[in-house]
Amino acid sequence: MEDPSIDKVAISGPALASMIQRFSTSQGSVDGLIFGHVSHIAPTLTDDSPNSTSSATLIATITGFFCSGSTHSFYNSSGRVDPVLLRRLVQAQAQSPSAHLLGWFSGRRKTHLRPSLREFSVSNALSSNPNLTFPIQNPSEGPSNPNLVPSLFLLFASPITDQTIHTHEYRAYHFRASKHSFEPKSIQIVNIGPAFRAQYENFSPNSPFPNLPFELRVSPMIVDRGEESLDQLRQVNKDQSELDMCSEGLEVGSLSRLMGSEAANYTTGVEDLYEKMLVKIESLTTLVEKSSAKVLEQVSLY
Amino acid sequence: MSPETAPPLIAAQLNYLLSHFPLVVKIENKWSGSKYYPGILDRFTLVISYCLDVIKWDIIFDAESPMAAPDVIFGPDDENFQQFLVLRGEEEGDTKSPKNFLNDWNSRDPTQLMLLIQELRDQYMSFQKKCVAEVDDDRLKFEISTIVAREGIEMHMSSGVDKPEEVKFSVPLLDMNINKMVPGCPWKHKQKIYLQVIYPVEKKYVSTPSAPRLKLVSTTELKSIFSIDDVKLPTWLNGMCMAEYLPHLEESLENQVLEAVSLIDVRRRFIEALALQFGRPLEADPVFCRKATFLAASGVFTFLVHVLISTQFPKQQPELMLQSSQHFNSQGAPIKSLFLTEYPWSPRWEIPLMAERICDYLTDEALNFKRYCNEPQLQH
Repeated sequence: MEDPSIDKVAISGPALASMIQRFSTSQGSVDGLIFGHVSHIAPTLTDDSPNSTSSATLIATITGFFCSGSTHSFYNSSGRVDPVLLRRLVQAQAQSPSAHLLGWFSGRRKTHLRPSLREFSVSNALSSNPNLTFPIQNPSEGPSNPNLVPSLFLLFASPITDQTIHTHEYRAYHFRASKHSFEPKSIQIVNIGPAFRAQYENFSPNSPFPNLPFELRVSPMIVDRGEESLDQLRQVNKDQSELDMCSEGLEVGSLSRLMGSEAANYTTGVEDLYEKMLVKIESLTTLVEKSSAKVLEQVSLY
Repeated sequence: MSPETAPPLIAAQLNYLLSHFPLVVKIENKWSGSKYYPGILDRFTLVISYCLDVIKWDIIFDAESPMAAPDVIFGPDDENFQQFLVLRGEEEGDTKSPKNFLNDWNSRDPTQLMLLIQELRDQYMSFQKKCVAEVDDDRLKFEISTIVAREGIEMHMSSGVDKPEEVKFSVPLLDMNINKMVPGCPWKHKQKIYLQVIYPVEKKYVSTPSAPRLKLVSTTELKSIFSIDDVKLPTWLNGMCMAEYLPHLEESLENQVLEAVSLIDVRRRFIEALALQFGRPLEADPVFCRKATFLAASGVFTFLVHVLISTQFPKQQPELMLQSSQHFNSQGAPIKSLFLTEYPWSPRWEIPLMAERICDYLTDEALNFKRYCNEPQLQH
């Protein structure tokens, strides 16, 4: 079985930070799934070294993750993966079609930063599951473009003895299904900023907005002040109707359509709106001009 | 309640492991991985004897769910062991695989951890055997083919970045149960003598392979009747193999062990002979007969005589030490003499004569010791 080697793992700084945060705030050990895509990066032309391989390197980009908040979320204690549980988790996290299941991660406190027996078994099972394969995002022109399997494993741990320098450790591994072994991989953290421009242009994060905690119960304080809130509501309604007059049927919610695949169709709509607004402003200015001219005439008559 | 404890279910597993594991196993380190209960221990480093050395495995329980099966992190040099375990588990569907223990983990059954560790160690043994079998060295291949049938042989492949490749064998010697030969034997583990053989892995072009490094190793408790350091190993001739070497070694070793066991009785008779001179011993080692303490008096000066008998006994005379029961040093400890080893002795004497001569010697020595105790500088 052909088993292309992933050369690098890239993750956005916030995504990594958010994974570490989920791990550090959880009660015990955690696990979860990581999503993203794998793409070719053409070798840079400036590389003169004779050893440089001509083939493009494969880079796995982590764009999203799901943290279960506990362990054994899709496998049992001997590391056997439960396909039903796994499918349910993957579907619940259905993202854009470009995000595939890249692998999984495990976080455990105060342990050595080495994959355990169970983690090995889970990675082995994931990478040998024929139902989870996915293609390379931008296939190279060559004849061989093998499908990939979820073979990434991110391990988080905290040092056994308390350290003053750092509180968390992490390491990425690529599980080679052909060799049945873990290969440690370097993690490239992609941040926003001028220094990272080159990286960032290759990078398209599309993690879903995280679920915000939503308080369903109404606080008793608000119930007591019913009248006041009614006034507020009335005010809000009034403001809204004024705003609606300006927007002429365009809703703020639909602005989100400016991003993504529908953007091309939608921008014309927004441009129309802007044009109408400009016309209004123009007529307003001519009105002002005329009225002030009239005022001037009256002043000169006296 | 002590501040650092393991949850009861986990503690039961560990206690059973420590008390019932047939080989030496220790907990080297224990700590807590829990965020909110730092006193609840759920991570343990086990030190398990293997091939005259030890392997260290981390057993990771979870204080939050003490009913759940543990996870194991192997040593940094044993990364391929997991691969071996998982692949083997896929091939055989056998019920003893570690996978099944983890699958059907029953936290109420305290034997589970021990069975798991035992099974993992067995698998580790097969794993090392496989590693050694893959070494491309003709001499090694030959040695393995001739001695692999020996029961209890263990092997270990050691290689590293800055270490030469070596294959280590631990060959159990003497098919006899020494524990049974010692009446009233207190040993928990079966006492054994092993030959450690370390072969450097040879490069192809070496014509005369170098001799392996040989060392005898015994279980620690055996020292009370037989000291392995006193054994002189036969020389390893050029071109020799283990199958040739071992029978000679075993033969001579067997005689020495039998002699060592028979010497227990000689020492017992010696202590009994001393009892005729000094009276009933205050304290004596009844199993190995290596120590006895008698009460003696020279006039009004009473003192204890400690007799320490080596395993080489009649050849080597016992060491004597006197301890005053009337004089104390400034710390309040009784004043003791140095070890007395220079006194008339002949291994050829009859045992009653030995006891008699010691008694004669001590009659004089007691006066010296009394003077020593009375020296003023010692009393401060």
